[in-house]
Amino acid sequence: MRAKSRWLALLLVLGLVLAACGGDSGTETEGDDTTTTTAAPSGDDETTTTEATGDEPMEVATDFGVDLDAGLIRVGMLSDLTGPFGPLVSAIVAGAQAYWDDVNANGGIEGLEVELVVRDTVYVVDTHIQFYNEIKDDVVALGHSTGSPHTVALNADLQADGMLAIPLTWYSGWSDSAINSNLLSHGQPYCIEAQNTIGYISDEVLGGASTIAIASLPGDYGQDSAAGAKIAAEALGLEIVYDGEAAIIPTDESAITSVANGIASSGADIAWVATTPGTFSAIFGQALAAGYQGIWSGPSPSYSPAYVAPDSPIKDAIAASFIGGTYTAGWTTEGAEAFHGILEAAGLPLSDYYFEGIVEAKILEAALRQAFANGDMTRQGVLDAAKSLENVDFGGIAPSESYVGADNDRLQRQGYIYAPDPEGLAAGTSGGRIDLETNYTHEIAANYEFTGACYTLAG
Amino acid sequence: MRGRPLLYTSYEADQSMLNTTTKKVLLGLFLGFLVFLPFTGGAKSSGSRLFDFSIPIVGFLSSNDYLQLLATVCVFAIGALGLNLLTGVAGQVSLGHSFFMGVGAYTAVWLGAPQGPLLGMGLPIWIWLPAAGLVPAIIGVIVGPVAVRVRGLYLAIVTVGLVFIGEYVFRNWRSLTGGSQAGRSFQELDVRLWKEETPLIEISQNGDFLSTNGKGFLMLLGFLVLFTVIAKNLQRSRAGRAFQAIRDRDVAAEIMGVNEFRYKLIAFGISSFLAGVSGALLTAFLGRTIPERWDLILAVQFIAIILIGGAGTVSGTLMGAAFVVMLPRVVQNFTEWMKSAIDEGGFIATIADPIVVTSPTDGGIINTLPGVGPGLSVLQANQVLYGLLIVGFLIFEPLGLYGIWLRIRNYWKGWPFTY
Amino acid sequence: MTAAIPIIAQVAGGEGHFASALSEGLSLGAIYALLAMGFVIIFKATQVLNFAHGALSALGAFLVASFATLVNIPGRFLPETVPHWLGWSLSALFALIAAAAAGMLLERVFIRPMVGEELFAVAIVTLGIDIALRNVTNDFIGTDPRPLGDPWGTKVLDLGWITFAHTEIAQIVVSVVLVSAVALFFRSRTGIAMRATAFDQEAARAQGINVGRIFSISWAIGAVLAAVAGVFISVFPRRSAGVDTATAFFAFKALPAIILGGLDSVIGAIVGGFGIGIAEAFVGEFVTFPALGFGFAGIVPYLVMLLVLIVRPYGLFGTEEIRRV
Repeated sequence: MRAKSRWLALLLVLGLVLAACGGDSGTETEGDDTTTTTAAPSGDDETTTTEATGDEPMEVATDFGVDLDAGLIRVGMLSDLTGPFGPLVSAIVAGAQAYWDDVNANGGIEGLEVELVVRDTVYVVDTHIQFYNEIKDDVVALGHSTGSPHTVALNADLQADGMLAIPLTWYSGWSDSAINSNLLSHGQPYCIEAQNTIGYISDEVLGGASTIAIASLPGDYGQDSAAGAKIAAEALGLEIVYDGEAAIIPTDESAITSVANGIASSGADIAWVATTPGTFSAIFGQALAAGYQGIWSGPSPSYSPAYVAPDSPIKDAIAASFIGGTYTAGWTTEGAEAFHGILEAAGLPLSDYYFEGIVEAKILEAALRQAFANGDMTRQGVLDAAKSLENVDFGGIAPSESYVGADNDRLQRQGYIYAPDPEGLAAGTSGGRIDLETNYTHEIAANYEFTGACYTLAG
Repeated sequence: MRGRPLLYTSYEADQSMLNTTTKKVLLGLFLGFLVFLPFTGGAKSSGSRLFDFSIPIVGFLSSNDYLQLLATVCVFAIGALGLNLLTGVAGQVSLGHSFFMGVGAYTAVWLGAPQGPLLGMGLPIWIWLPAAGLVPAIIGVIVGPVAVRVRGLYLAIVTVGLVFIGEYVFRNWRSLTGGSQAGRSFQELDVRLWKEETPLIEISQNGDFLSTNGKGFLMLLGFLVLFTVIAKNLQRSRAGRAFQAIRDRDVAAEIMGVNEFRYKLIAFGISSFLAGVSGALLTAFLGRTIPERWDLILAVQFIAIILIGGAGTVSGTLMGAAFVVMLPRVVQNFTEWMKSAIDEGGFIATIADPIVVTSPTDGGIINTLPGVGPGLSVLQANQVLYGLLIVGFLIFEPLGLYGIWLRIRNYWKGWPFTY
Repeated sequence: MTAAIPIIAQVAGGEGHFASALSEGLSLGAIYALLAMGFVIIFKATQVLNFAHGALSALGAFLVASFATLVNIPGRFLPETVPHWLGWSLSALFALIAAAAAGMLLERVFIRPMVGEELFAVAIVTLGIDIALRNVTNDFIGTDPRPLGDPWGTKVLDLGWITFAHTEIAQIVVSVVLVSAVALFFRSRTGIAMRATAFDQEAARAQGINVGRIFSISWAIGAVLAAVAGVFISVFPRRSAGVDTATAFFAFKALPAIILGGLDSVIGAIVGGFGIGIAEAFVGEFVTFPALGFGFAGIVPYLVMLLVLIVRPYGLFGTEEIRRV
C-alpha cells in the first residue's frame, strides 16, 4: 500500500508537470500562435490553407487576432455550453462553426481563414471575465458573448480594448446607443418579441383575449420579456390576472409550484412564461395537473423540442396549446434550405438552432470584409466597420439589421411566430417547430416608441 | 550549525517558521520572483511594463491573463487559510465557506461602492476591507453556538443549510446585490484616503510600469503574505494548540482544561473573517458578480483546496489553492496540446486519439469541438478530474500535495540511502 | 399577530389552496422520504454520510429513461400484445438492478479502502464521487431533458375537492410498498445482520457476519431508493420533460429530513421526509408576504433543520451519542 501510493504520487506529479509544460501557450504573449486554439475546421478543411491572393492591398493595418502572413483571423466565442442555456448555445456555436468552415472553403475573408476560439463560461460572470482576459490578445473580435450581465460586465473592458462583441442575448438595452458602443445586437429584443407574439395570439388565435398571466425569471432576460408582455397587455386591453414577474427561481421547487398554481387558479386566456426549458416544463405540467386550459407562450428560450419528443408525456398538451416567438428561422423555414447543405456537411443532426449562429457569423463576416476594404483590421477598425453596416442581409433566415441611425428607427421589430411540430420531429423532417409567420410585426410593436431598455439592469 | 541544521539550541529557533537557511533562501527567491514577474513582459501584452524582456521558460506567467489567474490564486488562498484553520486544524467540518465570502463581499460593496441606484456609501478601502472581515466574523460567532452543539457530520449539514439560506437572502435583497442573475458591479481595489477623485494608489488603470492586473496581483500577494504569516503564527500559538487538541480528542481536551466552546467560537470567527476578506477582494478584483456565485459548488471548491493541499498545513493550503485554481487552465492546455499532437501525427497521437474527440463522428472522452459533440466538454472533464482527484488524494495520500512534497523531500534528503 | 389573520382567512376560505398544498406536500414528502431512507440505510450500515446521493438519483432516473426509451430493453424483445405499462415496469426493473449494481460498484471501489478512516474524510470522498458522477451522468443525459416514457403520462384523478396526478398516486403507493419492503427486510436474516453491523461492526464481525457484503447490500438498497426517488422527480407534473442536468441537485433537500428524523433512524427518515415536504408545500402556498421575496418556502426545510438542531440535536428518533475519551 505504501509503495503503491508513492508511485501513484510520483506519477501524478509527472502528469501535472507534463500538462503544464505541454501547453505551448508559453509563447502566448506573441499573440498569434497557432497552437492555442480549441476549434478546428472539421476533417475536410484541414488542407485548405488558402494562399493570399496577389492583389490584396498589403497595407492592411492589424494589431491583435489577425495574422496576414499565416492567413488567419481569430474570433473569440464566450459561450454557455454546459450551463442553463447550454442546449441552445451549443447548437448556435456549432452552426457558426459550420458557416465559417464553408466561408473558409470558399476563399475566406479575402484569402484569410477565420478560426474560432471557443470558451465555455457555464453562464458564470467570473469565468466569463477570466476567459475574456485569456483570449483578448489573441482575437480581433468576440463573435459571441452569452448573457446580459456577463456582457455588461465586459463592457468597460471592451471599450478600453476597442473590441467588438456580438451579445447572445436579446436584451432591449442593446439597442440603446448609450450602452452599446461596442456591441452588435441582432434580432427582436425580448420586449418586442413579447409584444409581437402576444399580439398575434390575441388577434389571430383567440380572436380577442381578455386576460393574461405573466411569469418570468428574475434578471435581464425574464424581466425584459415580462416588461414587454405588460406593454402588450396594456395596448390590447388585457387584464393581468397573475403577475409572477421574477417569481421563477430555478432551484426552488416551491417557487415553481406556486407560479404554476397561480397561473392555474387565475384561469387566464394567455400565459406568458419567460424562463428556461427545465422550469417551463415543470410549470406547464403542474398547471396542467391543476386544470389550466389557456394558451401558453413565451420567448424562444422557454421552448425546447424535447417537449414534443415522441416519449414526452406532455407532447400532445404542448402541441395543442403552445405558440412561441423567436428571432431567426428554423430548419423548415422557407429560405433556410439554402443552408442545409453546409450544416449537413459538418455532420450536424437536424435542429432549429443553428441559424442564430449563422446570423452572428454573417454579421461578423460583413464587418470583417468591410474592415478589410477599409484597410484597417485592427480591433478598433473592425468595430468601426461594423458600426457602419447598413442592411446586413441574412439570405432569408432572419430580417435584415442595420447599425446606423437612430435607436428607435433601427430597433428590430420583425420576428417569427411558430407552433410545435411533434409529427415532424418524430419523422425527422423538422426540428420540432413549424412556422406560422415569418418577418412578422404586430401593430403594437410597430408603434412602440423606444426610449431605452424596457427593463433597466440596475448597478 | 552548517553540518547540523536540525540542532536547535533555543526555543525560538525550534519554533521558528523558517528554521533552516535553505527555507529562508528558497522562500526569499520565490517571493522575489513573484514580485519581479509582473514588471516583466512588456511588448505585446496590453499595458506597458517596466522591463520589456520576458523571463525564460516561466515568462508566460507575466501575461495579463496569467496574472489575473495568479491574483485569483492569492484570493482563494486567503479564503482557504481560514477554512484550513477551521477544518484542518480545529477539526470543525464546514461546507458553508461560500456563505461567509458572500457576506464579506456584500458588506464591502455596501460600504465601498459609489453611491448610485443600488446601496453603496463610497467609503475607502481601509474601511470596507476590515469591515468585510468583521461582519462575517460576527455572524460566524453568532452561528457558532448552534454549530458547537453538534459534531462532525451534523456540522457539515448545518453549514450546507447556511449556504442555501444565504443564497435566498442574497437573491431577494435586490437593493444590495442587484438581484438574481443580474448582479451588480463592485468597487475597485484603489486605495484612497477619503472619497477623493484620484486615488493614492491606483489599481484599476494600467500604469507606466505595471498593468492593472499586475498591480492587483502585487496587492493581493501582499495580503496573502500577511495572512499566511498570521495563520502560521496562529498554529504555533496557544490557541493553535487548543484547536489541534479539540480536533484530535475533544473530550480529552475539555477534561484537560481547554474550553472547547470558546475555542470553537474563535475558530469560527477567524475562519469567517478570512472568508469575508477573501470574498471582498475577489469581487473587487473581478468587478462584477451575481448572488448565485456564493453557492455550494464554491464551498466544495474550498474543501477540495485544503484536502488536495493537505489539511492542517499552511504550505499545503497554498499549494492546494494554486492547484485547484490553475487546474482548468492546465486541463485546457493539455487538451489543446493533445489535439495539435493528433493533427501532427506520430507516437503521441496514438495515445491522444482515444482521449480527444475531433469530429462529430470520432470517439473519445474529451470533446474539443465547439458546441454539441460526443464526450465530456472540457469543463465537465475538469470537474470529473477534480472529483476523482479529491477521492484519489483522500484514499492514497491524506496529506495531499504537501504529503507528496514531503515524500520527495525526504527521498532526496536520504539519497542515496533511501531504502 | 395581525399578520396571521390573512393566513387564517385564506385557509378557512380557500379550500382549493389547502387541497393543492396537501397533494403537493404528500408528493414532495414521498420523494424526500425515499431519499432520506436511502441516506439513513447507508449511514446506519457503513457510518458514511453519502453526499453522492443526488448523483445516484439522477443516474437512476437516467437509467430508467435509457432502458425504457433509448435502448428499449426488454421492450424490443417482447411481443406486441404485452401492454405498455408492463413493458415499462420491466424496463424500470432492469434499470433498478443496474442502479443497485452501480451503488455496489461505488462502494467497493471508493468506500471500502476508506474503512477505518475518519468519518469526515469518507464523507468528503462521497462528495468527490458526487462531483465526478454527476458530471458524467449529466454528460450522458445531454443538454435536452430526457423523458422517462412512463405509462401514467398526464392523467389526473379529480376527486372534486382535490386532484391527484396518477404519478402522484403511484409515488405514494410505491413509497408505501418500499417502506414495507424495507421493514420486512430488516426482519430477515440479512436485515438482522445489517442491524448488528450498524450497532457494532467489530462485534458483528466476531459473530461471523460478512461485514463487507453488508456494506455492498446497504449501498445497493440506498442506490435503488435514490433511483426510485429520481424517477419520481422526473415525471409529470414535477419535471414533465424528463430527467435533466438539474435533477442531481434535488437530493440536498433531503438532508433536513434526516436531521429532523435522526441520522440513524429509518422511521425518522420517513417521518422527517413527509414532515419537511408538507411544511415546504404549506409555507409555499400560504405564507406569501411581499417582504419575503421569492423562494422562501425553499429554505423552510433548512430553517426547520436549524431549529431542530437547537432544540433537539439528535432529531426526533435518533439515538444520542455517548462519547468517551
